[in-house]
Amino acid sequence: MAALLRPVWHALPWRPQAVAGGLGWLLVAGARPLSGRDGDTALGLTLLRLAALAAGVGLAFLLDDPARRTTEAVPVRRPVRAGLRLALVTPLLAAWWTAALLLLPAAARPPLGAVSLEAAAIAGTALALAAASVRLRAEPCPGTGAARALLALTAAVLLLPDRRSPLVPPDDAHWAAAHGWWAAILAVAALVWAVCVPEPLTGHRLLAGRPVRSLCGTSGPSRTS
Amino acid sequence: MTVTDTGIVTVSASGLTLRHGGTAVLDDVSLRLEEGITGLLGPNGAGKTSLLRVLATAVPADRGVFTALGHDPGTAPGRLALRRTLGYLPQNPGFHPDFTAFAFVDYVAILKELTDRAARHREVRRVLEEVGLGDVRGKRIKRLSGGMRQRVALAAALVGDPRLLVLDEPTAGLDPEQRMRFRDLITRAGQGRTVLLSTHQTEDVAMLCHRVIVLARGRVRFEGTPAELTARAAGRVWSSPERDPGARAGWRTATGAFRNVGDPPEGADLLEPTLEDGYLLTLDGAEATAR
Repeated sequence: MAALLRPVWHALPWRPQAVAGGLGWLLVAGARPLSGRDGDTALGLTLLRLAALAAGVGLAFLLDDPARRTTEAVPVRRPVRAGLRLALVTPLLAAWWTAALLLLPAAARPPLGAVSLEAAAIAGTALALAAASVRLRAEPCPGTGAARALLALTAAVLLLPDRRSPLVPPDDAHWAAAHGWWAAILAVAALVWAVCVPEPLTGHRLLAGRPVRSLCGTSGPSRTS
Repeated sequence: MTVTDTGIVTVSASGLTLRHGGTAVLDDVSLRLEEGITGLLGPNGAGKTSLLRVLATAVPADRGVFTALGHDPGTAPGRLALRRTLGYLPQNPGFHPDFTAFAFVDYVAILKELTDRAARHREVRRVLEEVGLGDVRGKRIKRLSGGMRQRVALAAALVGDPRLLVLDEPTAGLDPEQRMRFRDLITRAGQGRTVLLSTHQTEDVAMLCHRVIVLARGRVRFEGTPAELTARAAGRVWSSPERDPGARAGWRTATGAFRNVGDPPEGADLLEPTLEDGYLLTLDGAEATAR
């Protein structure tokens, strides 16, 4: 396992994570004068949610692996490799989120536990979408599709009526109930990840993977036949 | 493992079936492989890649069983044991473009559980030398040519000295010189190993393989030696000034005459059959069965 740390670190798709993380910080820091000293927690909450969404879009690329096909029949199992990727980015993600929270003026910060749960649910959903894409569509690089799906889900949530939306302000009567939903979303995302990351032993078509699809990154010679 | 009159059976499959959507890409495939190089021929969409992916444990079959090198990949321990002695070169191998050739093969070696660093590095250098990439092992993969990348993928398949090699169209997309070089590599790789080589190139099979399997529409249509496949066309290849309407297939050759395969008319100018002729007639038989 220790020997894998360096190559997996090297193989991680850092660019989308860095761009998404930078965008998230810019959103929070750039709006700092607006959220200001008056303590506009609703604005602060919106900014943190946008930052979390940006990070989620970056995380959707975590399982992108141009070498997936070349390494699909090796003894080290898929869950170990996917788990290692997750383990490598999690501390950085936690540090990034802490910094994002600190960038917001104290008076504008929403309840930190609740908004962190929302961020975790968004991150979990992004990872679950990527894992499902790898399993169901045999995608070497599921990032773009998973990021699009995450944005589409977000748009769908925005279209929900207020009483059903999990995107409520801190002073809303449904704040606690909405965070029950966020916890449920996180649990479902974790379940999808757990189901999709292991390798299928028998031919359950739904989870066994479909014919191999287009590549990303660098591939072998172009085909002439 | 079973010993037959031709060799030791290292891989044995029975009734392998794989469906995608409503289509059976593998339909009750049974076969056996022996030590040495076995060619897998078939047209596009025949199910060659699906069969190789099943045998390489990349995807499980819906039905059927197979054992390889005494392991049953239908169980987690069996699959793990098989993967420890398996090398797989997929049809479109992908790479981390910023890795050097050495770092990439080293990464695959780690994934193959070669844990001792010094021994692993020796093994990586050995396989890179074997495929002729010793001089460029420090070069990033994105800077290598397509043929060199294909050799990196072969090195990745060979690392750890696997006893079973599954190669999916390794010579496709290579220029003639690279193809010859690859053939040489595969011949050497086939010594003391079981190699299953999928290809569109009948010349590859004629030059490299001691056995051949023809797959069409997800079913095995022929299993035997290249000579037996060629013999299927004995007395069924003839030359004529115009394309013979009775021929199953015919094409104009460099001399301007037509080479026809099928059932020759009486008094036809019979030609020596090739492996390709036998293959075409086998495919034609498969088409006729499907019709």
